[in-house]
Parts: sequence; structure tokens; C-alpha cells
Amino acid sequence: MSAPQPLRDRVAGDLRPVRPLRSPTVRALVLVPLAAAIVFAVPALHFFRSDMAALGVLRGWGFSYAQAIAGIVIVALALRESIPGRSLSRAVVSWTIAGGLALPALVLVMTSSTFDLGPAPGRALVEGVGCFRASAGAALPALLFAALLVARAFPLRPGIAGALYGLGCGLIADAGLRLFCEYTAPPHVAFAHGGAILGAMFVGVVVSRISAPSRR
Amino acid sequence: MEGYLAGRIEAFDGLYAALAGRLRGYLMAQCRDAALADDLLQDTFLQMHRSRHTYEPGRPVTPWVFAIARHVFLMKRRSTGRRLRFEERLTADATAGDVVRDDVKAMVEKDEVRRALEQVPADQREALLLHHVQGWSFAEIAARLGIRVNAAKTRAFRGMKKMKGHLK
Repeated sequence: MSAPQPLRDRVAGDLRPVRPLRSPTVRALVLVPLAAAIVFAVPALHFFRSDMAALGVLRGWGFSYAQAIAGIVIVALALRESIPGRSLSRAVVSWTIAGGLALPALVLVMTSSTFDLGPAPGRALVEGVGCFRASAGAALPALLFAALLVARAFPLRPGIAGALYGLGCGLIADAGLRLFCEYTAPPHVAFAHGGAILGAMFVGVVVSRISAPSRR
Repeated sequence: MEGYLAGRIEAFDGLYAALAGRLRGYLMAQCRDAALADDLLQDTFLQMHRSRHTYEPGRPVTPWVFAIARHVFLMKRRSTGRRLRFEERLTADATAGDVVRDDVKAMVEKDEVRRALEQVPADQREALLLHHVQGWSFAEIAARLGIRVNAAKTRAFRGMKKMKGHLK
């Protein structure tokens, strides 16, 4: 079976050598310096939490960088999802999203003994919005970078790819945020910090759906 | 596949010869229409060509190509569904207007209707006649007059209202 002439002509007219994309893991590693900078920059640009010394290096920096690495792994999964024929199964997508959303709560449980430290009365909204903005602002550079990486591939399910890299970038930003926000009260953690991660996911979905080559 | 990525047309020919039969069978099973399957096969190879940089050397080609073929089929089904829904809506609009159109046709023959029509501004009269007498859809009227569909609807509606006012 030989190719029809019109098809062959069209292909021949645009047949320049192309460099294949590197593997999703290698491409996700490009995010490592950016993620490391974000984790450091969020508390450095604001201030470090007051109990940083009591928290110790492992429970402070260690858990934050572990969470950032988890974010990069999720971005790598999004990049894998963006390659035709390498789509993730529904179970993997569901467990990744559930695990990613649960991770900050797990880190909080593992590093705190009490969960009643929250904003002063009447300051909950202001402090919550402050944390949300700091987290969203920190996630933005990683989101843009990940969006470019995904758009260079060919995501057949751009919504899922976007949700995954949004989640990954949200986790990276939250890893920095937990080094400056010491509140452990569940409403603040859920709405300000969890809300920022969900917001990053939402932005990822929208950007990915708009920019995906498969929709053009 | 490596030769194809390097820009050799013979490699594309080889790839086509190796994959086209199986891909066509797959697409045929999906759409059950030989002509459409042939079209989708061409689209699949074109899409494959556009996204050939996403193939990872060393990995099997078949899952990559079949994922693209499935995507091409799904996109085609989605666009066809949209077009069919649009055409159904147009048909429904035209059918709904049939009864009114017959009544208006009969009335147009009467002098008073003709006189009332003459009182209606020319642009509104044109939209009114095209829709209610000629049976054109608003989309068709908009295309012919070079205006928006909503503007065509508004002109016909206002024209009808003015004509009714003159008939009272």
C-alpha cells in the first residue's frame, strides 16, 4: 500500500529533519532549578515562619523540598500525558490528583503537633487572601514554564495534562509557602493554601485547553 | 521512524506501507464508512507528520500512531456532531416558519397587506419577506445582506410589527 500522491506531496513539502522531544522525565528536570528557587524565594521575599528554628532543617526545608520534588514528579506525569500513546490510565490520574491534594495536609500533620494556630480574630480573610496571593504568584512562573513544555508536545487530553501540571506547580509554590506561613488551623490551610493549589490546577486546565496543538 | 524524523521521504513511504492497512481497518471499525475511513487515514498521517517530533525514539511506533488516529476520529466525530446539530436547528427554524409562511403568502395578495408592507422601511421589508414569504433562515438572510443573524431577526421582527400596526 503506497501513500496517495497528494498526501505524499504535502508531507514531502514540509519534510525537514526534526529533533524528537526528550523523555518526560528529562524535560521535567528542567523545572528543578526553578522549583528550588521558588521554594527559597517565597519565604526569603516575605519572611521565615517564627518557629523555623524549632522546626529544624529536616521538618522545615526537608519536607518542603520533598513536596517540591513531588510537584516535579506530577509535572513529569503531565508531560508524559502529553505524548500520544503514553496517556495515563484513569486510575493513575485519579490517584495522582488525590495524592497531590492530600500531600500538603499530610506534611502539615507530620510537622505540627497542634492545629489551632490561625489568624487573629477578624484577620482570617486578610491573612487568607495574603497566603492565596503569595502562593498563586509563586506558582505562576512554574505554570508558564510547564505550559510551554506541554504545549510543545501533543496532549490529546489537554484538560488532564493541564490539571496535572497545575497541581504540580501549585505544590511547588505551597512548598515555599509553608516556610513562611506557620498557621495550622484547618480552615486557613484548606481555603488559602488548598485553594491556591486548586486555583493553579484550574489555570492549568484553562491554559492547556487553549494552547494545546490538538485543539488548533 | 528514525529515518522519517531525519527527513527522508522514503522512510515515510515505508511507514505508510507498514501502517496504512492496519490504521484503515481500525478507523473503519470506528466509523463504519469506507470513504470516511480513507479521509481519516489521510488526516491521521498528516497529523502524525505535524506532531512527529513527539515520537520518542526507541519506543514502539504503533501505540503512538494509533493514539493519533483515535484522536483524529474523535475530533472528526465531534465536529460532525456540531455541524449536524446546527443543521437540525436550521431545519427546525424553517419548518416552524412554514405555517406562518403559507398564511402570509395568502395575505400578501390582498391589497391592504401590500399597502401596509409599503409603509415598512425597505431594509426591514426585505428581511421580513425573505424570512416569512421566501422561507429563508435568518442565517441565510444575514449572509445575503451582510449583517449579523441577530440583526436579520430584529429587522424581520420590527418589520412585522410595523406592518401589523398599519393593518390595524
